[in-house]
Amino acid sequence: MRMEEILSPDEQLRVKDLIVRFYTYEGIVKAVEKAKLNLRRGETLGIVGETGSGKSVTALTILALTPPPGRVEGGSILFRRLNGSIDDILKLSEEQLIRLRGKEISMIFQEPNAALDPLYTVGDQVAEAILSHRLPEMLDRAIKSLREDVKNGNEGFSTRLQLWAYNEMKKNPDALKLRLVKRLPLIGRIISKKLNQVVREEIVELLRLMEIPDPERVVDSYPHELSGGMQQRIVIAIALACSPLLLLADEPTTSLDVTVQAQILDLIMRLKERFGTSIIYITHDMGVIAEISDRVAVMYAGNVVEVAPVKELFKNPLHPYTKALLEAIPRPGATFKSIPGTVPNLVNPPPGCRFHPRCPYAMPRCREEVPELKRISEEHYVACHLYGGEDRGKHSGGN
Amino acid sequence: MIPVLIGVTLLIFAITQLFDPYMRASLYIRDPRQAKNIEGIIRKYGLDQPMYIQYFRWLDQVLHGNLGWSQSIHMPVLDALLTHFPATAELALYAAPLTIFIGTVLGKLAAVKKDTAVDHVTRIMAIVGWSLPSFWLGIMLLAVFYGGLGIFSPGRLSTWAENLVLSGKFKVYTGLYTIDAILNLNGAVLLDALSHLVLPVTTLVIINMALLMRIMRSSMLEQLNKTYVIAARARGLKWKTVIDKHATRNALISVVTISGLLTAGMLSGMVITETVFEFKGIGYWAAHAATQLDIPAVLGFALFAGVVFVIANLIVDILYAYIDPRIRLG
Amino acid sequence: MRETPLSIVGLAIVIFFTIVAIAAPVLAPPRPGRDPYMIPRYGYSPIPKPPSPEHPFGLTQGQYDLYYGVIWGTRAAYRIGVLIIAVSALIGIVIGGVAGYYGGIIDEVLMRATDIIFAFPGLILAMALVVAFGPGLDSVTLAMILVWWPGYARLIRGEFLRIKSEDFVEAAKAIGCSDLRVIVKHILPNAIYPLLIMASLDIGSVVLTVAALSFLGLGAPEGYADWGQLISLSRNWITGKPGDPFAYWYVYTIPGLFLFLFVMGWNLLGDALRDVMDPMIRRR
Repeated sequence: MRMEEILSPDEQLRVKDLIVRFYTYEGIVKAVEKAKLNLRRGETLGIVGETGSGKSVTALTILALTPPPGRVEGGSILFRRLNGSIDDILKLSEEQLIRLRGKEISMIFQEPNAALDPLYTVGDQVAEAILSHRLPEMLDRAIKSLREDVKNGNEGFSTRLQLWAYNEMKKNPDALKLRLVKRLPLIGRIISKKLNQVVREEIVELLRLMEIPDPERVVDSYPHELSGGMQQRIVIAIALACSPLLLLADEPTTSLDVTVQAQILDLIMRLKERFGTSIIYITHDMGVIAEISDRVAVMYAGNVVEVAPVKELFKNPLHPYTKALLEAIPRPGATFKSIPGTVPNLVNPPPGCRFHPRCPYAMPRCREEVPELKRISEEHYVACHLYGGEDRGKHSGGN
Repeated sequence: MIPVLIGVTLLIFAITQLFDPYMRASLYIRDPRQAKNIEGIIRKYGLDQPMYIQYFRWLDQVLHGNLGWSQSIHMPVLDALLTHFPATAELALYAAPLTIFIGTVLGKLAAVKKDTAVDHVTRIMAIVGWSLPSFWLGIMLLAVFYGGLGIFSPGRLSTWAENLVLSGKFKVYTGLYTIDAILNLNGAVLLDALSHLVLPVTTLVIINMALLMRIMRSSMLEQLNKTYVIAARARGLKWKTVIDKHATRNALISVVTISGLLTAGMLSGMVITETVFEFKGIGYWAAHAATQLDIPAVLGFALFAGVVFVIANLIVDILYAYIDPRIRLG
Repeated sequence: MRETPLSIVGLAIVIFFTIVAIAAPVLAPPRPGRDPYMIPRYGYSPIPKPPSPEHPFGLTQGQYDLYYGVIWGTRAAYRIGVLIIAVSALIGIVIGGVAGYYGGIIDEVLMRATDIIFAFPGLILAMALVVAFGPGLDSVTLAMILVWWPGYARLIRGEFLRIKSEDFVEAAKAIGCSDLRVIVKHILPNAIYPLLIMASLDIGSVVLTVAALSFLGLGAPEGYADWGQLISLSRNWITGKPGDPFAYWYVYTIPGLFLFLFVMGWNLLGDALRDVMDPMIRRR
């Protein structure tokens, strides 16, 4: 079976039967159990669920960055690359992965302050992303600028040295002679001058795009000198610096002030328009989901329990958990309804459907059999024994 | 810092109060001939006066450089300190950087290769180093190398080198023989001094790197769990770059304090090591003085050590501000 | 509980030494009418004698029986180590508890005091105190207690500050428990665990420092069953005899080995205890 047949032309990413387990002192935490997701090109897929639902772990695993002591124990993550080919991310080597991360798939995090290294300026950190993946482009710009300088009569030692160095770097950036020369005290600094200038200009433009005021000053700031909202814009700038195909957003607005939340959300949506990026947006906030998603996947205790277009999900929630989530949204005037019970212990999860202990519709079958994600109607899938539906695998197209 | 410094002097002063006025008088004399006039001294420095008056008189003397007379080696305490300090400084000069370097490198290695053989081996090394009595390790090393192999003898220099240094032909600039040998362009003395440093420095490094290693390891592990490390990898940086450029730098911050205290500890005299190897630094002098009940010497030494520590703490704080932009820029 | 081989080794070593200490009178019967901690002499010659059936570890300088010395040295180490730690911990609990519980100016003053003591390296301050008190093991004990209590005070104060603001303490105060009752019945039991960990990690350091002071000649007198003292007697014999550099190996190797293993055993055990108790503390 050829890979092309598993991913349809308009699909960007497909997570298939993903299993992630954490090996801790307290036991084996079955964090993600046969999760299924797919993402179409250019769409925003919202993933909603409580803490412990496995949503963050899934996102990190898409970048093959499952945090230890976690281990991927099964499944595949198919991704359509920039050059059109399809790869299973879980099967790529570390070397291949560094070319993927930050360039074709990027991630933004919940706490922007924690996502930035406090010891380096934000400019330095954005530069890391640019220099990792867009070096040839930056070198070209630098060379072009140097040639301009030559035309304007400036042909000193430093110009010629830089031209030589950049041409060498284009051929082989990791060459030993380059690395040695860069280490030399004065010479090293001269060599980096034009390149740094060019990269800095790019970064300032990027920050402007992120609607950061006074970007020239911000570039040289340290993370702790910036507000939460600004820090998050920086994190987004880093993520989008190389125009990735897919952006993983792990609760990027949760720890920000409400007003700032709205701004950042707005920014993300506008940037998506501009860059054409597909987004997987993770959150536990149904309101945000409603605003930003095209389709929604609901996760509970490591399983994907329902997937539907956003309007359909809100209008016609099928899974009891989804229903409970929607009812739990605080509304003025209505009594506060919470979901009874607690998130299950994932070392010893409940047998069968993991939601059954808290489910008002639980049947004996729910305790014995894990429900499979079944297609109920066009685009609407649910994993619950209440619904018959057709098996997902039996339908052609859209799979 | 100032209150602690004052406190340090107060504590030393409090200890002096444990002695009767006659013994305390010896803290004020600079010359054994003055000992004949004990009564005069007691009156002059108010040793029979209430404590607070005594404290200020004593402090006044200390600040003028009069720390008393060290009867065990027949010279004023201050002079003894100054004469013996270069030896201690020389030991610290080699031991401190080596300890810090080896400790941080091994600690980083242990953290990055957590739970592998490397981690376990370094952990055992650390526990052994931490548990070893420094005097026993020194003696065992001497027994093997000096007793068994005849190399690396105790003391700072061999007899011939010592004679040379004491004669007029060798110009003593700093008192640190290795440095002076370089300045005198004398390779033979340099080699001799270095060979006498091998065993004491080895002893110090083995014992002290243990603590540093463990702190670096836990600091590194803490950093490796942080979000910015994942974020850096998510940018597409190589694992090695993430470790070297980001995690290590952050981890080193915690190590700065302990390194500073370690160096301070060495500079304030390594009593045991100097004694075992007969390396005549301030620790050697103090240990010798203690057995002779030479009170001014021991107290002067303790005061010096306390002051060195307080200053070291201050330097560490300044270093912190320099390294960590969060502190520097507020 | 995660048993690593290291913690088992530590436990084994500690059990070994504890048995030796308890069984000392049986393993090396003291002479009737004499202080059991004074090692019996078998002559006055300074030259050590190698191990033999009557003297399994040989005789050190001054003809003191090494076997007797290290056995009773174990007992002495425990005796002085436990005493120092127990008293320091007690003082530390009282002072640290008061500082942590009442806070304010009392806390400030007490913390300044500990700061000042911490400004001195332990061995050096102990040296100064011992010289002031006059050499001997009693002075060493007193000096060590004075040097060691701030560590416990700081720890307990920290624990009190942390636990003080927890809910169950507020609850106890709300129903009218007196301060003392709150401290003893509620805060103290929770603060004890880190203290135990610190104590077990400390025995090694305490015994090492006491041995160092004895080694320098400030602690145990010559002939006393003290490892440090025995090691100091061995200094002259590291060069051995002409033609046989390790002739007197037993004199310096054996007492040092006992000291080293004792300290290492307790360090391993303390480490393991900390690993085990840590998650417990955090979960509280």
